[in-house]
Order: sequence, then C-alpha cells, then structure tokens
Amino acid sequence: MPNFGIIGKSEAELSAAAAGVGVALRVDELQRIAHGLGRDPTTVELYAFDAQWSEHCSYKSSRHHLRKLPTQGPDVVIGPGQDAGVVRLGEWNGERYCIVIAHESHNHPSQVVPFEGAATGVGGIVRDVLCMGAEVVAIADALRFGNVTDVESHQRYVATGVVDGISSYGNAIGVPNIAGDAYFDDGFSDNCLVNVIALGIVKEHQIIESKAPPGSEGWDIVLVGKATDASGFGGAAFSSLALDAKDAQANKSAVQVPDPFLKNVIMRASYRVFEYLREREIFAGFKDLGAGGIMGCTAEICAAGGYGAIIDLDEVVTSQEGLPPAVIAIGETQERLLWILPPHATADVLQVYNREFSLPEVSKGACARVIGAVQANKRYIMRFGKERVMDVDIDFLTGAIKDELPLANEAQASVGREPVVQAVSHPNRASRDPLFKQYDAVVRGATVIARGHAAAGVMMIPNTGLAFALSTGGNPGHAWLGAEAAAELAVHEAVLKVMSVGARPVALTDCLNFGNPKKPAHYAQLVSAIDGLARAARELNLAFVSGNVSLYNEGASGKAVPASAIVSCIGTFADFSEVLNPALQSTRSFLFLLPGDSKLDIFDALTRARAKGAVLACGYVEPGPVSLSALRMAFAQDDRSQRIGIRMERSALADRPGLLVEVQQRDLGRELFGEDATLEARTDPSGIFVGADAAFDSVSIEELLAAWRAPLAKIFG
Amino acid sequence: MNAKVAVLVYPGTNSENETLRALLDAEVDAELVHWSNAATLANFDAYVLPGGFAYEDRIRAGAIAAHDRMTDAVIEGAQKGKMVLGICNGAQVLLEAGLVPGTGPVRRPTAAFTKNAPSGKFVCKHVYVKLNIAPQRCAITAGLPGEALIPAWAAHGEGRLAGSADHLDEISHGGHLAFVYAHADGSVDDAAVPNGSALGAAALTNSQGNVLAIMPHPERDAWTFNHPFSRDGRSGMTFFHSFAKGLKQQ
Amino acid sequence: MSSRALAITLKIPDNEAFTALRALQRLHIPVAAVERAEVWIFESSLSDEALVEGVRANETLFNPNKHELRVLRDERPRDGEVWIGEQGEDPASRAKLGGKPLAGVTAVRRYTAWLLSGEEGAALPRDQVDLAARGLLCNPAIEKAIL
Repeated sequence: MPNFGIIGKSEAELSAAAAGVGVALRVDELQRIAHGLGRDPTTVELYAFDAQWSEHCSYKSSRHHLRKLPTQGPDVVIGPGQDAGVVRLGEWNGERYCIVIAHESHNHPSQVVPFEGAATGVGGIVRDVLCMGAEVVAIADALRFGNVTDVESHQRYVATGVVDGISSYGNAIGVPNIAGDAYFDDGFSDNCLVNVIALGIVKEHQIIESKAPPGSEGWDIVLVGKATDASGFGGAAFSSLALDAKDAQANKSAVQVPDPFLKNVIMRASYRVFEYLREREIFAGFKDLGAGGIMGCTAEICAAGGYGAIIDLDEVVTSQEGLPPAVIAIGETQERLLWILPPHATADVLQVYNREFSLPEVSKGACARVIGAVQANKRYIMRFGKERVMDVDIDFLTGAIKDELPLANEAQASVGREPVVQAVSHPNRASRDPLFKQYDAVVRGATVIARGHAAAGVMMIPNTGLAFALSTGGNPGHAWLGAEAAAELAVHEAVLKVMSVGARPVALTDCLNFGNPKKPAHYAQLVSAIDGLARAARELNLAFVSGNVSLYNEGASGKAVPASAIVSCIGTFADFSEVLNPALQSTRSFLFLLPGDSKLDIFDALTRARAKGAVLACGYVEPGPVSLSALRMAFAQDDRSQRIGIRMERSALADRPGLLVEVQQRDLGRELFGEDATLEARTDPSGIFVGADAAFDSVSIEELLAAWRAPLAKIFG
Repeated sequence: MNAKVAVLVYPGTNSENETLRALLDAEVDAELVHWSNAATLANFDAYVLPGGFAYEDRIRAGAIAAHDRMTDAVIEGAQKGKMVLGICNGAQVLLEAGLVPGTGPVRRPTAAFTKNAPSGKFVCKHVYVKLNIAPQRCAITAGLPGEALIPAWAAHGEGRLAGSADHLDEISHGGHLAFVYAHADGSVDDAAVPNGSALGAAALTNSQGNVLAIMPHPERDAWTFNHPFSRDGRSGMTFFHSFAKGLKQQ
Repeated sequence: MSSRALAITLKIPDNEAFTALRALQRLHIPVAAVERAEVWIFESSLSDEALVEGVRANETLFNPNKHELRVLRDERPRDGEVWIGEQGEDPASRAKLGGKPLAGVTAVRRYTAWLLSGEEGAALPRDQVDLAARGLLCNPAIEKAIL
C-alpha cells in the first residue's frame, strides 16, 4: 500500500497534497506525524491522524482553556473527560443512584442534512450515556435557527428537518424528550445550532468505564451494531471545516445515516448484557463509536487503560463490497458500540446480541463480533488482508495536542439590542409547542412535568422516591452583551429554570458553539465565554460534569454564529411532592419577583417559603419585560379552567433571569424573600391582562394566548 | 391460580416497561415476553401489546408485526376468548391483524389507525378518553362506570381512524367504538380530537368484546407523579384496574 | 401541463424490503427478492430535466447520500410490481413536500412500488403479486393497490 509522502516535500507541496486527499491536517501537523513515526504514514494512518487530531476529537484549541471550569464537587462522581459525566442523584433503599449526562453539538451535519444530522446527533449522545452502563431515561435539545418566517427560506427547511429528525429518532428509541429550548436569529442563518443532551440512570457501583480494565491484556475487542458502510467517512474532520454552500453537496457523504429501530434493539440488548455482567461480577470496558469510527474508539478505549490494540479489519462486517481499509477503519457508520470483554464472557455476550435480540434479523448485517484484542505493548496495529495498514504508538495517536492561537480583544458582536417590549407573538417569545409536540415527552411513563409545561422538565425514577429536573439556557438575545456576560447568563438561566420547578441544582453541562478559532476575535469570544461560565459556576458552587466544544460555526461569508455558550442544569428533589406548579392558582394572589442576582440564596428562601405553604406557583423569569413572564404563568393554566386575570403593579424589565412567585398574601412576599423581592403583579378573576403603563390596553388572556400559540404553529404545525 | 398476562415485546416496542409496571400495580400477574420466546405465549391467559414502533412500522404501522409468530399466538388466543389489549402501536397491530373491529377475516384489515391529519406529523398531547359503550360490552371496560373519563397521553404519528364509509358505519352501529376523545369536563367535540380520527375514535373493540385497541396511553398518566397538580382525582390507573377486574371474570 | 413519474430508490441497504421479503415468504408467496421504490407522479409544466433538477434539490425528497433517482417511462407498474397509494388525501406526502414546495408543480401523487421476483430473478406472476398485495402490502381500508 503506498504511503502518503511527507518526508522531503515542501510546505506548498504538502498543503496541496493534503487538500487533494481531503485531509484537514496542517503542514506542521503532517510533519509532526512523519517525525513521530520516523517514516511516511500509510493512507490509513493519515486519515487516522486526521480524525484524532481534528478539533472535534482533540479539543486542541480549547482544552487548555477549559481547565478553568470547576469540575469537582461533593455530588460529582465522574467529571468531564469520559463519554459522559456522572453526578449523584440520591439514595434509595441503601442504593446510591447516579445521573449520567452528556451534552454535544451536531451543528454542521444538521445544517447540511437536517433530518439525518439531527437524528444522528440524538443517536450519538444516547450512546455516550448508554456506554457508562446507564439506562437512558431522557433527552433534551437546544436549537438555534435563522429566520424561519419566509416559506421559501432554506432556514425553514433546516428547522423543520431538524425537528423531524430529533422527533423521529427519540420517539422510536423510547426515550422521552423532556427539556430544551429553541430560538430564531438571523445570526444562525448560515449555521444552525443543534445541541443535544442525554441523561441516564445508573447505580454508583454499576458504572462501566470507557477504558480497557486493569489486567485486560489479551481480552477480546467486540464490535456491536450496524454493518459498516461508507457513510460518515470524514465526519470528524468535516465537523472541523467551516461550511461553504457549494461544498454542501460533497459534504453530504460525510453525514451518517440514522437507524433508531436498530438502536432501540441494541439498547435493550445492552441492558441485558449489563445484567449478565453484574450477575457474574465481570468488569468490562464499553464505549460508543463516534468520531474516528472503529479506529478512534478502539484506540481511545485501549489507550485510556494503558494498553495497545491489534485490530483485524477483515473481521468487520461491511454492507458494501470493496470498501477501502481507511473507510472501514475510520468511517462513522451509526449505531455501533464496542466492548472489551474477558474471553470467557465473549460467547455469552455475542449470544445476547446475535440470538436473543437477533440483531442480524433486525438489520441486514448487524451483529456483535470479535474484531481484535487488547495488547500489552502500546502499539496500535490494524491488519487488512495480508497487510499491516497501521502500526503506531497509541499515545502518539490519541495524546493531547494543543494549539496556542492568538487572541484579540473581543469585538462587540454586531447583534443589535432587542426592542424593549416584545409582543408575545415574536418567534422567540411565542409558544414552542408546535415544535415540541412532535417529541414524545412521556414514553417510559415516568414524566412528571412534560416538555413545554414549565421552564424545566421533571422525571421520576419509578419504584424509588427520586426525581430530577433538567433545563437548558443560553438565549442568543444576550450575545450583544459580549460572550463572557452571555455565558454567565446562560448558567443563571439554566439554574433558575431548574429552581422554578422546585429542584435543587446539582450539576451543569456546557456546549460552546463558536466561530473559527483561528480568527483572533472568534477565539477571544470562546476564551471569554469560558471565563463567564467558570465565574457563574463558582458563584453558585456548581461543577460542570460534561461538555463539548463546537468550533468553525460559520458560513461561506465568514460570519460566525452569535457567541453561544449553551448550558444545561440538572436538579434533584428530596421528594417529588416538592415539584412546583408553573401555572397561576388563585384569583386573589400576588406575584413577587426574586431577581437572580439577589444576595439571597433563592433555593433556600423558596424552600422555607414552601415549608410554610406560602408558595402557590412559581415561574421562570426571562430577562426582558416581567409582564411576559407573568403571562406565561397564566398561559400554563389548563385550557378548560377559568382564566385568571393579571394586573401589573409596575412595568419592570428584568435584566437578569429570576423567579416569579405567586403567594396568597401581600405581606408574605417581603417577609419570606426580603428586600430584594418586588411586587410585580396581582391576580384577579377577570381573565384580563392589564399593563402598568397607561399606554397598555387591557387585553383578554384568551386573546393573548391565541397570539402566543399561533406564530410557530404556522411554520411547524 | 391467577390468570397470567403476557406483555409482548416485538423488535421496536418501546413502552413495555411502564405497561408492565401499570399492570403489576393493578395486581395483575404479568410478565414481559420477548420475541425470541414467542413459543411460550400459548401458556398465557391474556395478552397486552404495548406501544412503540414494532418492526419500525415497516410497510405500515403494525403490518409486519401482525404477521409475526408472536401474533399467531395472540390471534389464536383471541379466537378462544382470551382478553387482548393493544395500546398505541399495539392497537395498530390489532387492526392490521383484523382482530379489531374484527368485521372481516383474520389479517384482512377493515380499518386502520393511520397518519394523523391534517399535519401528517407525530403529536404528543395530554387527552381524555370517554367510554362510549355500555361497560359490559367489552371485558376490559366492564369494571368502569358508564361514560368513564380516563386521562391519557396521545403520542403517535398514526392514530387517525380511517376506513370506508360502510366500515365506519359498521364500527359505530356495531358497538365497536369503545372510547372517544373528550375534554377534561367530559364534553366531546372536534377540538378534543388530537389527530383527525374518524368518529372521534380513540379505541375500538371487537364483536365478542374480548379485544380492545386503544391509541392513547393510559399508562403514561397512571401514577400520582404523572399528574402532580391534578385536582380531579382521575388517573389512567383506573383503566388497568378495570383490566384486572375483567381478567378475574374471564 | 403533463404528468411524469419519478422513482426514488435507496442505494444503502433497504431494511424495509428485507423485512417485507421475510414476511411474504412466511405467507408462502414464492418470492426470492423484493425491491422497493418511492414513486412520485408530478403534474407540471417543467421539462424532464428541470423536474429532475427540482427533485434533486428538494432535500426532503432526495438525499444524494442515500438515494438514486430515475424517470419512469410508464406511469404504471411493471411486471411483478405493485404500487400502493393512499386512498383520498395523503397527509404524509403533504408533510414531506411541505418543507420545501416544488416550483412549477401543480399536483402530486405518491406510491410505494414493490417489485417482487422469484428464483433466478424472474418477475413474479400477476396472481402472486396480487396475493402479496392483499395479504400484506396493501391495507384496503386506507390504501389502493395498482397492478
């Protein structure tokens, strides 16, 4: 097999040669590879380094900055670094239950092929949680689209395709979609953002790690799932390239094809394998195949355990004839996972996948099969036919590489200030139900608050008293404040949303969606956003347990998306009866605003107030007119119940996220919440909204409700 | 000896665990039976087909599953008078298998739960279903009061009852229309129907009344934690208690 | 204004056809291979080339990574083939087209075409195809089968 010539070539020659074979590695990186190997790389090696050293896999320009984020805390079991983070949920019957959470972006694929891109985003994040030994119980998504109001616009096609993709995948695998948000802003017209979050439950002593266990020398490497095909070749490198409209067609081949039906069966079969391994107290390694395909997964799982590997590509079942070894090794065919198993357990595990759950019957060529073995020496070797197509030092392949890029003073982004008063029918204020009602929010029968019914979703762990809440934050309308302040606000948004349903915030995840890090202004935004996240998290004494960085979010024009640090927050309940109602309850009550920057510990104050039975309902307050947040509490009432009226006491603008608390007696507000709490509105039986300004007409809540529901229904209904 | 109930798991089923949980909490002796164990199904006294996407809805929702080995046992059992309940995708399977409304030969469907109208898209929405037949007409509803109102979640892309005018006539006049969609106050109108279903149909039964196909999921609103703010005291669990009662009388 | 039929087929493995084959064999229909296509019939004023171009650009209908597209000579099934279409309105085809309307097209019908062949690739006889349609491929309550 010919090698890719590096040694003795000029920079210009190398640059041209790399571009010619679709490799995104820079000249200095190519030279480093040749130097490290002491020879020119084979074709397979070239593509392997291309995938492993892409931003997508290596975080080469962000990793050193991400160290600033707090990642430890009393409830944190596993922080960032593995496929997913793990945080304690609580104890029940002497067992410690943990939440496993992962948060990723699938922005580029979703922009190019919205349905498949978004669906495979869900598929990937679900595997990240599954491979920690967890049962996957919830998903969420944060979506950012361009202007969708024009029927002919490409962005409308992108947005509807993304929603369809998420819905078709999540619904089929039977994992409820319980939280998230969606915003529309011209800044996302060339590049939508699709952030997906998955959450699983595992008992603490049953966590499976994504590494070859101690003493696993000679153990079997078992590939499970869909037959390997040519789809998704170049996926990792592709994500690290800025999008150019004319390349969109060519890029389509890098997008993977989802198969949620097969995933449904693989998930259930894997739960059975978990049971089998636990019964026999067998320790194994389990990891999902994502970026870099078989190569990326096997190299990382073995390197993490301090081992090498030998992989026989001839053992990989393919669904297309004549696939070149680089495609088999590195292509990102979906719906695949990988086990490191002691040989005495292998036959039983293969039996579960291949016979009991009959993978080969479910999808042509799907199966579980041994494809290699763990090696004591730290070589990473791949064989294909009679040839050795890859033979490299495993740490060199997977080790941390770093780009120190120049920073510029952060330029004020060119996003204009929103008009102060938005009508409820603005797409970013309007009901998102038309999107989210396409998601199954209640499969598993454990949903307490379904998506869209409150600012956070709430789920119960059946047969225990444990429950959790999940939210996302990162309103792109805050980008004009600068990346640092917007990131800080994103943390507060997510945290207050979780508090608004009565949960105690316990951990955060983040996904940093930014432009090209090689452009100093964009890079500066990324770095200051990390500062903002770190500060807010430290203030709140919360840790980030999982995260992801998505760079190069820009179109051909070179215009990057608005700085988008998207944050999710997990909250827990000591008892699910602590869940707070988001809907107004009384026709003679008072609404107090608790500002998010109050000196008060909001969660404690809320807990005390609740203990006295003083809290009737609680809503999340989005920065902007408080009246709109009050209205959302009215909209949350059941459709058939008598509409409660709202009379605003003042026309306040919240400059930070907060909570709006409904209490029965006026003097209770200050008594419970102190000086920072302000009386914003009172309720009455009229069913009418009355603003505090003379300029405001009285409008019936019904009419406002219709105006709030209509805009997105026209587009997504 | 207690009657034993099988909860069937086809490849692609996704609601088996909560359906089993609801049955167990209603004190039904139930267990999951997986497709690779189809041969054991004959030993059970009743069958529950849960929601999901059996065989990925290939060809049509329920079409492949209706011809599956597991369904052979269900058809045989139904013909012997065993109770059979299909929820959501399970309901689609029962219509494709011709067991419900059961007005034609086996596996020659006379109606279908098909693509929602007008959008053609999946809808996830909290609903109420109202008993539209005399409770005794169907073994599974016999334990309910007349006009019982049960909360549930519609969560499907294909839940609209469709069929020829003649077949729809047969359904309404033959007492097959077991549940219709309703509002929380029990009133019935088009606005209560989430999917454009003909006759406002949410569930159908067969002529013998031992088979029921219901589209929305009562098991997803069956526990107090599913409706923390509800004040009307209604629960999807009522439906499973009625199933349990029917089983005792079978 | 004229009507034209286009067939979209998968170039990746078709699990739906694979499952249909197994199910038909269980019904004792002597079928050895099943091929599936999505057939769209467009009423339009466009030329063949312009129509094909429009469909190729309509990403909800056609994904070059997964699909192949061809113009059909006839607007009816071949030997061994049955077309299954919705009776009355088809919300799914509307949902599918809704993402991005096709300019110059005034009416659309959609069918799933099933091509059944026996041993050695010969088209299945008409009576067997009819049996396959009645037994599995068509639900007469909501669909119609064209042979």
